[in-house]
Amino acid sequence: MKVSFVVNGEDVSVDVPKKTTLLTILRKYLGLMGTKIGCENGDCGACSVLVDGELKKSCVTLARQVDGCSVTTIEGIHDGSGGPNDMQTAFMEYGATQCGYCTPGMILAAEALLLKNPHPTRQEIRVAIKDNLCRCTGYQQIVDAIEAAAADRAAKGGHHD
Amino acid sequence: MTDELKFVGNPDNKAVDALEKVMGKARYVGDLVFPGMLHAKLLTSPIPHGRIVKLNTAPALEVPGVKAVLTSEDFVDHGAWGWPVRDIYVLAYQKVRYVGDPIAVVAAETPEDAEAGVEAIELELETLPVVSDMTRALEKETPLIPLTPPLGKGNLADHLIVRNGDPHPLLKKADVKLKRSYHLLHQEHAYLETEGVVAIPQPDGGVTVFANNQSPFINRDTAAEVLGLSTELVRIIQPPVGGSFGGKDDHVYQFTAQAGKLAILTGKPVSLILDRKQSFHTSYKRQGSVVTLEVGADKDGNLLAGHGDMVMDSGAYVSMTTLAGFRASMHLLGTYRYQAATVDTDVVYTNNGYSGAFRGFGNTQAAAASEMFIDELAAEFEKDPIDFRLQNCIVKGNKAFTGNTIAHDAGLIRSLEWVREHSGWEKKRRSFAGQTKGNLRQGIGVACYFHGSGLGGEGTDYARATITIERDHTITLQSGLTDYGQGSRTVFTLIAAEVLGVDPKQIYMLRPDTQTALESGPTVASRASIVGGNATRIATEKLENVLRLAASDKMDCSAEQIHRQGDKFIGPNEEPMSFNDVVDHAFEIGLQLYAQGYWQIPEIHWDFETGTGIPYFTYSYGAQVAQVEVDINSGSVRVEHIWAAHDGGKIIFPKGAHGQLLGGIAQGIGFGLMEGFEFIDGYPQSKDFKTYHIPNALEVPEIETHFIESRLEEGPFGAKNLAEPVMIATAPAIANAVFHATGVRACQLPIRAAWLKEQIAANA
Repeated sequence: MKVSFVVNGEDVSVDVPKKTTLLTILRKYLGLMGTKIGCENGDCGACSVLVDGELKKSCVTLARQVDGCSVTTIEGIHDGSGGPNDMQTAFMEYGATQCGYCTPGMILAAEALLLKNPHPTRQEIRVAIKDNLCRCTGYQQIVDAIEAAAADRAAKGGHHD
Repeated sequence: MTDELKFVGNPDNKAVDALEKVMGKARYVGDLVFPGMLHAKLLTSPIPHGRIVKLNTAPALEVPGVKAVLTSEDFVDHGAWGWPVRDIYVLAYQKVRYVGDPIAVVAAETPEDAEAGVEAIELELETLPVVSDMTRALEKETPLIPLTPPLGKGNLADHLIVRNGDPHPLLKKADVKLKRSYHLLHQEHAYLETEGVVAIPQPDGGVTVFANNQSPFINRDTAAEVLGLSTELVRIIQPPVGGSFGGKDDHVYQFTAQAGKLAILTGKPVSLILDRKQSFHTSYKRQGSVVTLEVGADKDGNLLAGHGDMVMDSGAYVSMTTLAGFRASMHLLGTYRYQAATVDTDVVYTNNGYSGAFRGFGNTQAAAASEMFIDELAAEFEKDPIDFRLQNCIVKGNKAFTGNTIAHDAGLIRSLEWVREHSGWEKKRRSFAGQTKGNLRQGIGVACYFHGSGLGGEGTDYARATITIERDHTITLQSGLTDYGQGSRTVFTLIAAEVLGVDPKQIYMLRPDTQTALESGPTVASRASIVGGNATRIATEKLENVLRLAASDKMDCSAEQIHRQGDKFIGPNEEPMSFNDVVDHAFEIGLQLYAQGYWQIPEIHWDFETGTGIPYFTYSYGAQVAQVEVDINSGSVRVEHIWAAHDGGKIIFPKGAHGQLLGGIAQGIGFGLMEGFEFIDGYPQSKDFKTYHIPNALEVPEIETHFIESRLEEGPFGAKNLAEPVMIATAPAIANAVFHATGVRACQLPIRAAWLKEQIAANA
């Protein structure tokens, strides 16, 4: 089947077998390797992306579900000059990466949260990332980073780059 | 070394690999794609124990797209390997010994073709009786699991002892005696990235393999042996690794040999990546263990003597379990003074998967048992659990229960005092006692630990590092030790920057590649910072001496007259020279700006025959307090808060060290409350993250941490170790808090809600 959608601001069109997942399209057809394979079962969140601003696990999202949608992957998250945005900078500054495998999905979960709730509490942050498993960090520095980026973004009136 | 450190210990330092990770640009092994790359899939055993009666791979070769199929016959000596016990095969030989045991591997043009090839293999297994009970494993009539018993004693893989005097007369005359048994379940590493390798055939008949392993040199040597190649022909390159925690060595070596052979046979790159279910079933685990402790004390609560018995489930193969058994034995009676103490540990084969290295390496189980035990003993004396520990814990100059003298400053007392003060301990011990309203009960509990640094009696403990400055001033640093997320590349970079006086950003720390890095032993035992850090320091100091020589030549003075300020070299008279000017001059006068460093942990000796000696040259220490809330109707436990203090010597990379502590605690929560990889009659009961739940962001509470930086003279800038020990106090602290909340003493970890609910009801 043919699927057309927008990825990181660019129009794409792919012809794929019916049950192809968004994860497979991103990695195999579009070469966007920043979206990670963790469980292929919807359990770990390593493959999380934004579909029309909503956090979705791309391993359990089928091709037809994204037809006509706008998808953002980690490759679409950066500042105006291609460097790290404020969220990514906060992840570095707060030591929120260890092995880094959950990091892309975690950053997208954080971005999805701030789209809906620009002033999250720590508990709200924890709820927002609860389906994104991390085996290395114990989550605290990730929560620190998201909290700091949210405060910073709110102080700048919601703008970020 | 100077007291004014600029980079080492600076809290602003970021991980050297953070940028590529937050941008999604880090390329893990599963992200590598090479032209014409084939995909390999495994045929694994569906049963726990059986004899291979028929294994016909010919039909697989008929499947469209399939290019090659391998069995044990395709490797030297049937692919036998393994250290310290040579009991495993690259692919099962004659027998299968656990569910998930790899039997054959198929390479094909697509993953689907490879799966079809696996399906087509004709496999006939004659089922053998399953050995799932560790006690029964040692009985005479029980079928043998290994092809050859390593000790000539059936399924006994090893027996480890500690003999420090005779505890039995002292136990007899003790005023108070306690004897308890604990059952600790298996634990799965559950790294987010599954195991994988990509092998690329080379024109010289060799193979280059990208592998997400921990110890690339051992991988290289194993692959070379079973492939019948010289080590020069096998090159292991380590890409970023998506978590390991001890868990990506042995079976990754098997995949390396399998994919390597397939690549050589087909002349094409071969990718072999496990899916999650296969990762759960085929990978090794933390050993399920049964610990029985008996300790006697005098009427004042001074410990007199103790004896520990432990049985560790090695499963189908030994892997690292005999060494984990050594570490467990050396810690089994905890961080306390005894007049006499003995330990007997059996490592046994079963068909319960197989076990190997996992963070804590035996001390996770040992400390869990001894800290739940000591808490109960404190209660026998109606003493405060922290007071009781302080009364009996070892300090510098005391003897550990293993009989050796604690040679260095022990930060244990300070750790216990810190967690007591910051957790509001005394007030909560009182206020949480005697709750009767509603269904929620709060509790607060403590646990502490010591953890031997480095490999200890397991073997020679060394590492090497190299540092080079290129003509364009680029500085490259390399170690044979790997960074799988724990931050060792950052630690080494900071050490080199400190010694050279340059900004860490100027240094590029390479990843290990067996063709360019120097062999450095395994990256295990939390030894990277201390051993690899010292090797880095030594290499960099050598290089800095060469630069001083160049500066002294230019400034016409002796090297001793030069002092350093930041990146400047300052002589007695002239203008200071910048780092880059000194490098330029060094090249002009023909100096080689390359140095190697080697460092080895001071030698110690443990006598395995007599159970005496010095197991480790030093220890790290720590204590944790957990606060929990138990729902007495459901038995579910919520961890509300944790306070953790760790003495890891000087902290070199604070953000990373903090992250290690927090992440270790999260794994400890999993071990204590929700994980537990169970086997029923040898069949694994988990296959994914739904059936094996690891802690999520709501199940790990806010954690307060503190590092007690007792300086270890031998460590780089005074550093010791921290990655493993920081997890081992968490589970027993939680169990002790559960007791405080409910009056129920856990005898099994994890504490399952259904069990706890029953116990609470029975106590009511």
